[in-house]
Amino acid sequence: MLSFRLRFKASLPQNLSKILKLFATRSNILETNSNESEQFRVLDLYPQTKVMQEKRKTRKTSIPPSRATNMPTDQDWPSVWPGARTFHPASVPLPLRQGYQEKGASPNKYANAELMKIPNFLHLTPPAIQRHCEALKQFCTKWPTVLENEEICSKHFPIEIISSDYCYSSPTIRDPLARIVNLQVKLSSLYLDTHAKDKLLRLLGNKYNPETDIITITADRCPLRKQNLEYAWYLLMAVYHESWRVESWEAEKSIADMEYFDWDTSQSRTSLVTLYTWPIPPTDYDYEIIPHATEYKIAVSDLINNGEDQYSVNKYKEAVKNLLNLKCDNKE
Amino acid sequence: MERTVGQPVNDSFLRRIRKTHSRKFSTVVEVKDEQASQVCSFRTAENNPINHNTDHIARLYTVPIDIQRQIFQNGGLPGKFMKQVTTFQECSIMVRQPAIEIISYLNQVDYTRPVNKYVLYGKFGVGKSLTLCHILHYAFAQKYVLVHIYWAAHWFKDMKEVATSVLSPGCMDLPIDAGLWLKHFKFQNSKLLSELDLKVSKDYVWNQREMTSQGTSILELVEFGMNRIKYACGVIDALIKELKLASIAGKCKTMVVIDGFNAFTSSHTRIRNDNKVMVLPKQVSLAIPFFDITKNDWCNGAIVVTVDQTANKDRRESHLPRYLLGKEGFEHLDPFIPVLIEDYNIAEFDSMIEYYKDRKWIRNITSSGQRELELITNRNPFVLMDQCKFL
Repeated sequence: MLSFRLRFKASLPQNLSKILKLFATRSNILETNSNESEQFRVLDLYPQTKVMQEKRKTRKTSIPPSRATNMPTDQDWPSVWPGARTFHPASVPLPLRQGYQEKGASPNKYANAELMKIPNFLHLTPPAIQRHCEALKQFCTKWPTVLENEEICSKHFPIEIISSDYCYSSPTIRDPLARIVNLQVKLSSLYLDTHAKDKLLRLLGNKYNPETDIITITADRCPLRKQNLEYAWYLLMAVYHESWRVESWEAEKSIADMEYFDWDTSQSRTSLVTLYTWPIPPTDYDYEIIPHATEYKIAVSDLINNGEDQYSVNKYKEAVKNLLNLKCDNKE
Repeated sequence: MERTVGQPVNDSFLRRIRKTHSRKFSTVVEVKDEQASQVCSFRTAENNPINHNTDHIARLYTVPIDIQRQIFQNGGLPGKFMKQVTTFQECSIMVRQPAIEIISYLNQVDYTRPVNKYVLYGKFGVGKSLTLCHILHYAFAQKYVLVHIYWAAHWFKDMKEVATSVLSPGCMDLPIDAGLWLKHFKFQNSKLLSELDLKVSKDYVWNQREMTSQGTSILELVEFGMNRIKYACGVIDALIKELKLASIAGKCKTMVVIDGFNAFTSSHTRIRNDNKVMVLPKQVSLAIPFFDITKNDWCNGAIVVTVDQTANKDRRESHLPRYLLGKEGFEHLDPFIPVLIEDYNIAEFDSMIEYYKDRKWIRNITSSGQRELELITNRNPFVLMDQCKFL
């Protein structure tokens, strides 16, 4: 320090100007970076690696084993699962699996959304239903002894009303589909003559099923079931009475409008009689005198009314052969 | 045996072959032996269809070449079968149950009564047209006048020319097709008609200058139609009427043979009139006479027609006659005798295979190969013919 001072004195006159300059610049730096310490700044070429965060420690909670594991095999299932409910893995002691995995088996029942989505019928086991029925029996009346079988039932109660009830757990218990009413009645149980039956079938269109002989009237246009039921009754009544009514324009029905092939008014009869009386033109189209004409009539009617198949064509062939008096003696 | 492979360079070599292997290489002698041994099994020497009966069923008979030329010159045999005829150098047709059935009907029928109608039906390729050919040959042998349309649908599908009809207003003419049909008719019947010497019963006026007067022969009428094809449709109309009259009078017997008759009752044609509107078959002047002759208001004849799924465009789902004819067609033909043609039975199939073997069309076929052929073709004649092309 002393030497420095000496040297400083010695060189003061020469260095004074430099020192002044140095101070000046130093004061400038101090003004700008007044808060930094007097260290050099470090250039970080490689930023420091982040310190790995410690894993959060999982809290261990003690979960008892699922109830399904220690259920006795002879337990009363309807009391375990008394009502309709979403699937719960711990309550159902069944090794169920549902869903799809790319590799491996289907997911098991725990935390399985697929099993929860689908409706289950675990509350509708046969013993549960039996118990329901037993409980409901006290409210039922005795079945009429006369109505022994299905035939007698349908004879006395020809009309069947079909509607659906829906029950499920949601904020509302109403289902819009519950309003729809189907009224079914057998065509044979209605009192109809030939004209009325033909007209009724034309009016009904596809509401009549010829295979089962059942007319089905569906009413769904009103908001309530009762209204729809009344409307279905009204429709049945209207269509029945309308079919009995004979309008003036119905007399204009021609062969093309016929619902079946009537041989007596057909071209076939005309050509048969013309053929028989040839070369004299026929005076009246009486076919009774022609031998085998009735067989031919039946064959043609069947061919056209029942649809053409190999059997009906063969029948027609035999009829025509008898009519034309031809024999085939060379059948193999 | 003598092979004339007269190459001087190979002469000595060939001589050596002839000495040693000639028996193996020769084929001519073997063929003769085969024919001699198998002639009774699948062929019948009875080439006259008049004499065919149940004994000849499932055997092939050969249509003599001169008769084949005369009846089928302008068509009649199906195209693919015609190729086979050319290849085999003989026109052999199998005698089958439906043809025998119809021939027996034709033999027993009372010709003073109105004509009977026979409708052949069956699935595609079961041999409807060939059965028709057999019956046509029978009718030719029995000296019927042949009114033969070998494929009716041609007129409404591949017609040559369409013109508005002069003679029958509101109808369309197919002059070239009509001319061709007249040519076909003349080819088939020229001999018979010159023998019968049928005359025209009334005057037909074609225009101010041309007319066919009463007493002209039918052949002249046909000639006129061929020369003046503008009036060919009218000539056909007159010809059919004259044939009907002649048949009723007993001067001749007439056989109407139409393949694909349901083309006449189709609701679709490719013929358009001047306003580009489709013309139905009943408005085509060429078809009207054939509607007329298929009515049963004449006698001394027979009508044999086929109904075919391929003959019309609109109805193709079923092969049954009422469906294919439609309501109007059924009413038109009713009452007719439907005759079903089915696939080959086992005997027919075997004799057909034997025939193909005989013609060297299929060679070296084992019994299992034959069984396979039976299964893949389902014994359908057309499919069999098609499958045997490669064997």
